[in-house]
Parts: sequence; C-alpha cells; structure tokens
Amino acid sequence: MFTPQLPCMTRRQMLCSLGNGFGALGLASVLAAEGVLGSTAKASGASNPLAPKAPHFRPRARRVIFLFMNGGPSQVDTFDPKPALQKYAGQSKEGTTRQKAAGKLMPSPFRFQKYGQSGIEVSELYPQVARCIDEICVIRSMHTNTPNHEPSLLMMNSGETQPTRPSMGSWLTYGLGSENQNLPGYVVLCPGKPVVGPQLWSNSFLPGIYQGTHINNTRVDPQSVIEHVANRYMPRGAQRRQLDLLQQMNAVHLQERVRDNQLEARIASLEMAFRMQTEAQEAFDLSRETTDTRRRYGEGQFANACLIARRLAERGVRMTQVYYGNGQPWDDHADILNHRNHARQSDQPIAALLQDLKARGLFDETLVIWGGEFGRTPASEGSKGRDHNSKGFSMWLAGGGVKGGYVHGATDEFGSTAVEKKVHVHDLHATILHLLGIDHERLTFRYSGRDFRLTDVYGEVVRDILA
Amino acid sequence: MKAQALLSLAIFLGSASVLRAESPKLTEADFFEKQVRPVLVEHCYQCHGNGKTKGGLSLTSREVMLKGGDSGPAVVPSDPAGSLLIQAIRYEGETRMPPKKKMPDHDIAVLTTWVQRGAPWPASPAGGDVLRTPGAAISGEDRAFWAFQPIADPPLPSLKAPADWARKPLDHFLLAKLEAQGLRPVRPADKQTLLRRVTFDLTGLPPAPDEIAAFLNDNSPNAYEKVVDRLLSSPHYGERWARHWLDLARYGEDQAHSFQPRLFPYGYRYRDWVVQAFNNDMPYDSFIVEQIAGDLIKEGDPVAHKAALGFFSLGPHYYLDGAARKFVEATELDDRIDTLTRGFLALTVSCARCHDHKFDPIAQSDYYSLAGVFQSTKYEEMPLGPPDVIERYNKSQKEIRAFETKIKELVKTQGKGQGDKKIEDAAKQKLASMRRELNEMKKKAPPSPEMVHTLGEGQAADMHVYLRGNPDKEGDVAPRRFLRILAGDNPPPFKQGSGRLELAKAIASPKNPLTARVLVNRVWQYHFGRGIVGTPSNFGKLGERPTHPELLDHLATRFIASGWSIKTLHREILLSATYRMSCDHDEHNSATDPSNRWLWRMNRQRLDVEAWRDSLLAVSGELDQHIGGPPADIGNVNNKRRTLYGKISRHNLDSLLRLFDFPDPNITSDARPVTIVPLQQLFVLNSDFMIARARSLAAKLTTEEKDDALRIRKAFMRVYGRNASEREIEMGLSFLGNAEKTSLTPWEQYAQVLLSANEFTFVD
Repeated sequence: MFTPQLPCMTRRQMLCSLGNGFGALGLASVLAAEGVLGSTAKASGASNPLAPKAPHFRPRARRVIFLFMNGGPSQVDTFDPKPALQKYAGQSKEGTTRQKAAGKLMPSPFRFQKYGQSGIEVSELYPQVARCIDEICVIRSMHTNTPNHEPSLLMMNSGETQPTRPSMGSWLTYGLGSENQNLPGYVVLCPGKPVVGPQLWSNSFLPGIYQGTHINNTRVDPQSVIEHVANRYMPRGAQRRQLDLLQQMNAVHLQERVRDNQLEARIASLEMAFRMQTEAQEAFDLSRETTDTRRRYGEGQFANACLIARRLAERGVRMTQVYYGNGQPWDDHADILNHRNHARQSDQPIAALLQDLKARGLFDETLVIWGGEFGRTPASEGSKGRDHNSKGFSMWLAGGGVKGGYVHGATDEFGSTAVEKKVHVHDLHATILHLLGIDHERLTFRYSGRDFRLTDVYGEVVRDILA
Repeated sequence: MKAQALLSLAIFLGSASVLRAESPKLTEADFFEKQVRPVLVEHCYQCHGNGKTKGGLSLTSREVMLKGGDSGPAVVPSDPAGSLLIQAIRYEGETRMPPKKKMPDHDIAVLTTWVQRGAPWPASPAGGDVLRTPGAAISGEDRAFWAFQPIADPPLPSLKAPADWARKPLDHFLLAKLEAQGLRPVRPADKQTLLRRVTFDLTGLPPAPDEIAAFLNDNSPNAYEKVVDRLLSSPHYGERWARHWLDLARYGEDQAHSFQPRLFPYGYRYRDWVVQAFNNDMPYDSFIVEQIAGDLIKEGDPVAHKAALGFFSLGPHYYLDGAARKFVEATELDDRIDTLTRGFLALTVSCARCHDHKFDPIAQSDYYSLAGVFQSTKYEEMPLGPPDVIERYNKSQKEIRAFETKIKELVKTQGKGQGDKKIEDAAKQKLASMRRELNEMKKKAPPSPEMVHTLGEGQAADMHVYLRGNPDKEGDVAPRRFLRILAGDNPPPFKQGSGRLELAKAIASPKNPLTARVLVNRVWQYHFGRGIVGTPSNFGKLGERPTHPELLDHLATRFIASGWSIKTLHREILLSATYRMSCDHDEHNSATDPSNRWLWRMNRQRLDVEAWRDSLLAVSGELDQHIGGPPADIGNVNNKRRTLYGKISRHNLDSLLRLFDFPDPNITSDARPVTIVPLQQLFVLNSDFMIARARSLAAKLTTEEKDDALRIRKAFMRVYGRNASEREIEMGLSFLGNAEKTSLTPWEQYAQVLLSANEFTFVD
C-alpha cells in the first residue's frame, strides 16, 4: 500500500487555498491553475486511475470506434464475393448449417463490383462504404468458436465465451487510461440493448471504473444520455454556490486529517463532475453540428450514433462501440434481403464517418472496426435466409495503422470456411491492442491466482495488415 | 510503463491486494508455460516425461533435451531445422513423433517458435515463484509452505516496552512487530470516533444520536464492551456481514445471458439464510457444511438446509450452447470449484483445470476429483407449501413436460415427410393445434408455489481428467476425494453419494490448516481494510505471505477453540487496543511504513455502497428497517429498504451498485476496490435519490427546531455523529442566509451538502 500525494500541488498550497473560505469558483480555479484538473492529460496519475498511461510501444492508433453489426452480417452478401454460389446454386453442401440438415447453396441476391484503385469487390449493399475501400482493410478469413449469438458476442467482446472476463474496451481503458477526464473513457452506444447485454461491456474482475458506459441512443437528449449528468433542480450558479460550501466543509475536514489521498481525490473528483455536466452534455449535443455535416451522415439512430462517435473521438474517448441496433437486427434467418435495410441504415453514416475523420485529421489515429459476432452460411436456411456461421466471415478495419485497399485471407470457394491466413477473434484482439501500442501478452491483471489477459493464452498479431 | 500504470492504480485502490506489478520475466515464462509446456505434456510426456525415457530421450528440461537420446541432441537452440525434435514432429524424416498422429499445426508452430527463440526454459518467473514440474509428486518442501503447516498456538512474544498498551493477547503480537520495525502505535481514537467506527463495522449504519449520548455519558470501564455486545446482538449485524459473504458467494438472482436464463426469484431465501446464520452466530464449521451439503444433514430444519445450498445452486448457469455443450458444463463446474476453493480455502484450484497447477501442489487430477463431486450433484427446485398444493403443482408440471416431449417428437418426425406436401401440411396443422393446447395447459396450471433453489444428489460417478481442459479428450479417472496436499498422498475416495458431505467435513475440519486461517483473515480484513494476508482468497505461492503469521495462528487457534464462533472473534478484535487506535498521522512512523502495513494506526475507510446508501436513508429518517424478504429494485427512488435487499442482477447490475464498486456477481470477489471517479459525484450532485434524501432531512430538521443554528447543531449530530464547531455553524448560517431560491429551499440545498461531504463517506 502506498500513501501518495497529489503531485501537482503541495499540501500546503492545497490547504491554504481550501481552508480560508474562498469565494465562488475558488477551488475550481485554484485546482485548474495548479493543473490538477483540466480535461486532458493533466489529472494526476496517482489520484486518478483513468489518467492516460503510456503504452508499451509507439501506438499507431489512439482510440477505437467499433461499429458492431449485431446479429451477424453475411459475408457472401457484403465483402466476400463468391461466384461459385451461382454455379452450384441449389446444390447441397455438407456441413454448411448448424443443427439442421444441410441447406442448398444460395447465391447472393446482391451484385458485387470492383471499387477504387485496389479493385476490391464490395456488394451493392455498401456502395458508399465501397467508395472508401482504398482506406479499408478487409479480413475475409475471420473465424470464431461457436455459431451461437451469446457465446460469440461474448467472444468478440471479451475473448471468452462465458460471462467471466472483462471486455476489450475495459482492457483498453485499464491499459491506457482516458484522454478526457470529463467523459467516460469507454462509451457504448446502442438503441436499447444487444443480446447478452451489459456483460458485453463489463469490467468483470477489473475495477468498476473500467466498465463501458452504456448510452441508449434511441433518442439523443444531451441532458439524459449520461445518468445524472444534469441537475433538474438548480441553475448552474446556485449549484456552484452549493458546491463551494461543500468543498469548504471538505477542506475543513481535510485540514484536520494529515495525508489522505482518498479525501483529496474525492475533492478533485467533485470538481471534475461539476465540469463534466457541461462538457459531457456538449459532447452529445448534435445540434452543434452544421446542417451540412448532419446531412452527410444522414438520418436515423445509427447515423446519429456514428456522428456522436466522431465527437467522442475528437474529445479523446478511448473506445466507442456503436451497436447497429437493439437485439440482433442482422440475424436474417428468414430472408437475407432484409440485409438491404440494415445496409441502407448504415452505409451512408459509415462512409460519412470515415470521410469526416479524415477531414478532421483524426483518421490516422483512430481505428475503425466493422463486423458482427460471426457471419452467415452460404447455404440457405428455409428458402431465402441464411443461418449462423462461425467458421468463416468478414470484418474490416480502417484508419490508424492498417493497410488500406487490402484484403487479408480468404474463405473456401463457397465462403463457408476460412482457409487462407485464418484470423481468430483472439488474433484480431491481439492486433487491435498492438495497433494501440499494447503487447497483448503483457497487458495482464492478476485475479484468482492467475495473470489474465484479453487474449487468454492465444492470439497472434496479424502483421500482414499493418501499414 | 506497465509497472507504473499498475502502481498508480494500486495506489488508488488503497489495497494493493488485487494488483501486483509483474516482472518482465513472466512474459518468457508465460510463453513457455502457457504454450510450450502444455504441448510437451500432451504430446510427448507419455513416453519422454514423467520418468519415462523412450529411446533414451527425456524432454523434461532444457539440459536433457540438449543432451538428447539415442539419436543425438533433440534440440539445437535457435535452429529449428537442425533440431531432431522439430524434424520429428514435422514428420519430415524417418523418425515421426508422436508416432500415432501428427500434432496439430498450431502445436508444431509453438515448438518451432520456441526452438527458434533459443529454447528458453524459465525456471523461476516473477519474484522467485518456483514453477512446479508437471506431474511432480507432493514434496516435503511443498508441505513446508506456511499455509499447509498445521495451525500453531504461538506463545505471546516478549516485548521491549511494558505491555500496558495491550488490551487483548493479539495486541502483543502486533506490538512486537511494531517494535521490531521501530514504530509506535498512535493514540487511541476518541469515544465518538470509536463508536461511529464500530457501529458502521458491525451494522453498516451510523450510530443514532441517543446511542451517542448514552455512550458518552457512560463512564463505566466496560462502556465500550457493552456497545460491542449491543451491536453484535443487533439484527442489523447479520445484514452487514451477510453481504461480505455474498460477495464471496457471487450471489446473484439471474444470469448474465439473454436467452432462456435460469432465474432465481426465490434466491433471497439463501441471502436471508446467511443473514440469520450470522445473527445466530452459527458455528463456522456448520456454516460451511450446510452450504456444501445441507441436504444431506439429517437433523434440523430441512427447508433451511436446502436454502443454505444457494452458495452453489444460485451460481451461474451459463448459456447452454448446443455446439459446445460439454465445454459449457465444464465451465460451470469450474465456477463451482473456483468459488468453493477460493472461498473456503483460499486456494486457486481452478488453475488446475487444464494442467497441473503451475505454482501450488495441486494436480490436474485434484481438480477433477472435486469436479466429480459437483458433476454428481444436480440443481433442484424445492416447492414450499401445503402438500396437496405442491402435489397439484407437480402433477400439472409433469403433464406439461410430457406434452412438450410429444411436441418435440412430432417436430422430429415432421422432417421425414419431406417432399410430400400433404403430409407436411397435416403435420403442421396438428403441431399448431398442439402448441395452442400447450399454451392453454400452461395458463390453466396452478401457479408456481414459492420454492427454494437448491441442490440434490445426482448420479454419483467419477470424472476423467479432461486433457488440457478439453472435454472431448479424456485422460485417467480422477476418483472423488479431497485435495492431496490437505488430505495426504492417497486420500480415501468419497463413499457417500456425490461425496459432498465428506468434502464439506474435510473443509470444516479443525485439522485443515487453511479453513480457520482463511476466515480469521477475512474478518480481520473487513475490520481493518486489509488482511493479515493481503490476498484473502489466495494463500498459495503467488499470494502474499502473512505480515503477522503468529497473530494469524493465534486468532485461528482461538477461533477453533471458541467453537468456530465468529462473534467471539469479532469481540476479540474489536476490544483490542489495535482496533481502538485513531487514524492519526505520525511523521516518524510514516517515514518507515507509509502504507501502514504494520498497523501503527487505524486505516480510514470509505463506506461501501450499501453502508453509504443505507446511511443516507437512516440519517434522513427514512430507512425501512425490516429484515429479509423478496428483493426490490434499488433504482426506485422510493425504495427505502436496505441495499442488501436490492435485486442483484448478473445480467444488468443496478447502476448505482456498479458505479460504487459493487463486484460483478458473475464471479467470486474477496475485496472491493475503492475507486473515486466523477460519475459517482454526478450521482451525489444530481440524482433524484440524493435530492429526495436531502428534502426529507431538511423537512425533519425544520419541523423539529425553529432556530437555524439549533437545526445545524442537530444536523451535525444526526449526520456526522458529533457537535458542529462554531465555524461550521457560521458557514451554514451564511449559506442559508444567502442561498438562491431554486426549486430546492435553502435548507434542502444545505441538507444535500451535508449528505455529500467527505465526512459522511469516509469513516475514521
């Protein structure tokens, strides 16, 4: 155990400023002047577990935006063209579905076309994203452990199929802290909840401060997106006066007790909370965007979430996860044509996000990830749908440190199983951490007698995709 | 950076027990231990390890590998292509190993990388932790490890100074260590501070003004002793201490996952059982036996015995993934073993699920010996109520199940009519009508009576070891029996059914070197903020060593001698001079021992979320004090019950709980980290809950007193348990006189300040 001090300010300074009945704004300005507060890296490491921490090596990206297509998008209908499905349409292929008798191979109802200089083929579902393809690295050889939603959602988010491990965002904030002390370091946007729910952004055995903050973006109201972020009872000035009295009392209390980092930390934390009220509300306030920007992202929950993700990226939030929708919308067992609706909702906002990040100089230091918990079978389920497929599926990465216009790995001729340069979810995790400057084997936490890590005992960095 | 990051976090947590900076050496060790060694064990050691040397070759150390066997050196460091071992596993030359089947590509790659890296064989990772050789027998050295030594009854140590400071024998042990470090205990806490501390410690509530007055006016020498006894017999004592236990029991009332989770609407019966067990000072050995094998105890109340089994029956039931069913079941067993062995024994047996424990003398077969016990046990629901009601309910449930089976069968045969549309349509119609009928049956069925979620005996059978934790790869049979390090090299197999009762008795035995020490350490930790062993659920090699080993044994010995009475143990600790010290700072002591490892003063502690929320309700005069019963939503501003009675959801834990460091109920937790972040303060500043409490407190004060100064005095006594200073009264009056008119009155604003202050949150 340790007895640290606020390093930016001597105790004497602190007590002097606190103890003598300062007026309105007194403490806040004192603390700010001393550099104890401040929205960026200044908050002291000793008193703040979310203070930014140096990575293991030079990072290629500083933050992550994970666009999560929950339910499982079909690879052969989006980023993994399989002309052979046309040729063998209607024929049976063993082992292409989970429990049921093997379905018949079903060609994609969507046309593929080459885009960009790289000439990567993308289906008509994603025309606008396709125009950014030279910035995108498509991994066509993803695979995971089981073709069921809950375990696969947990695997993609925490590297384990049972609800017993911290999520990737928790690991990232634990390892790197946050660059903005006035916002949560790890934000999860979902209109409603994905299947499994909060366990997907759980801190598990890591301290609670590393859990994801879930924001239900069914309706974006800056006053209520973060719980308790607004005071409904008092105007700001009155609250400041109230807080001044509180801090004065805290100062008296502190003065009678020598050396207590916890008491000092809570005093600072109250000030941070006071500031957070305005800054956090502002971060979620889309009315501050120009109509032109709003138009480029388009309308709808997902579009708004993408725009918020950019605002959070600008403000230094470490990880923002955007779930496409409530429940498992991409889970199109009955009719794969439904994918058209999901793509329509997400194509324009994703393309706008990529371009916007680029225009603002954030693209190179932000890692954008697109994908779901698994893919879908090339064989049909019923007559028009597709079943879950864990053996081969596509995801893509863009931004900080990844090769644009690049395809990594391949599935077999029908798109059912990853065969070339296979990438397991553990490998993806190892690669994401690597891009953020973390050695996935060294980011550990001791719990239950073992040093746990996001990648368990697995994971290899996929070096081929690094720029 | 790593060490630094961990350091700053550890500082923050106050207790370093959850975190430890690691030596960079562990990375190499990690690679070897987690990847290389398991491959060798799985594919090679049948013939070239565990004492076997086919072809003159052993692969159990770097040296013997370099020396090689009949065909020459097996490994040339950094030259995979030139290493016989690699050639053999690649099936390149004449020698092909393993002979029956080539290893998976991944494993070949691991060994190749390892040889490429120079075949490092780390003998000793971080901090001199000695890695065990897999398959090694338990050695004398293993048995000599402190935690496996019998509990001693050490004599009181001799002291340099006269021991008049000491009030209890335990103080001698503590003082001896302080003297050895050149430290001196600070002055005792004043009466008000002590009363507040001990009241929170034992009941999780602040002392009431009349209790404070009574204690201050009681000048008898045993005034404090009377307070301790009063608090120990308070029904709120059990509420406070049950919650500590429920953290360990990872108590939850549902499941993390979404699809068909098993719910525990009557899980609270276990929670209430734990409360009563503490209130009745149930001997700890019985407390253990009832939670492991209550259903197998003949005498006593069968319903209570069944409820006690919630320790296991309310454990997580994971999503039953059809594609990986056996693995899911194995992971549930892992939860049971982890919670059992860390909770009662502070041993991390679950580390031995996939291989022998890396550091402690626990073989993989030991893990499966215990797993077999739980594999032979099944989850049960025991309906409660008059026999005829239960019978009617059971009968209708049986009918529903039978009908469901019928439907399932029909679904199966339906597929066989493939092609013939007529048959298919007829079947479809039949199915639809049957499903309607089923719904009717369910609607008409008598409602579920209340029940207990519990355990019963299943099919008693031993398990096979799962090689590398893979349920599809079975190794030798692991007879159901107790851990060898605790029960001797060849413990007799359990004979009665699943073996739960025998297991329970082996744990609850006074001869078990761990059980009493572990419990004593936990009680110490909850009183002082840190255990004598800083890793309360890990007494193994990677755990911390006790700071005061003699003290730990002294307390454990007396604990067993008292008939495993936890209340007697509390008394012992609370009446000591050690516990009664103030939180004062001391420059001299601080220079030597800044972290207060040797306890030269009391640690200031932040209230946990339960005590904090309960106290807000208590001082605002709103706390509903009734004990036990079904849970209620904490998110409801008008829920005025103690926090213990909130719903505990594994799926969606209440946001207030999670915000204030409540542990994830999916896994066992032995200590709460203390984090201080702005999101918590937003709750303090803005939540409806805080405003409601402030309004209630203000209303109470303004109706009880006419004069503002008097009100302030009264408020300080209620909220902080002390008199307000003149300066504090002045500050209050000045605020009230100048406060802006908002939707909160000045007094409501002021009351919120009082409730939000550090003094209310931290206890000296």
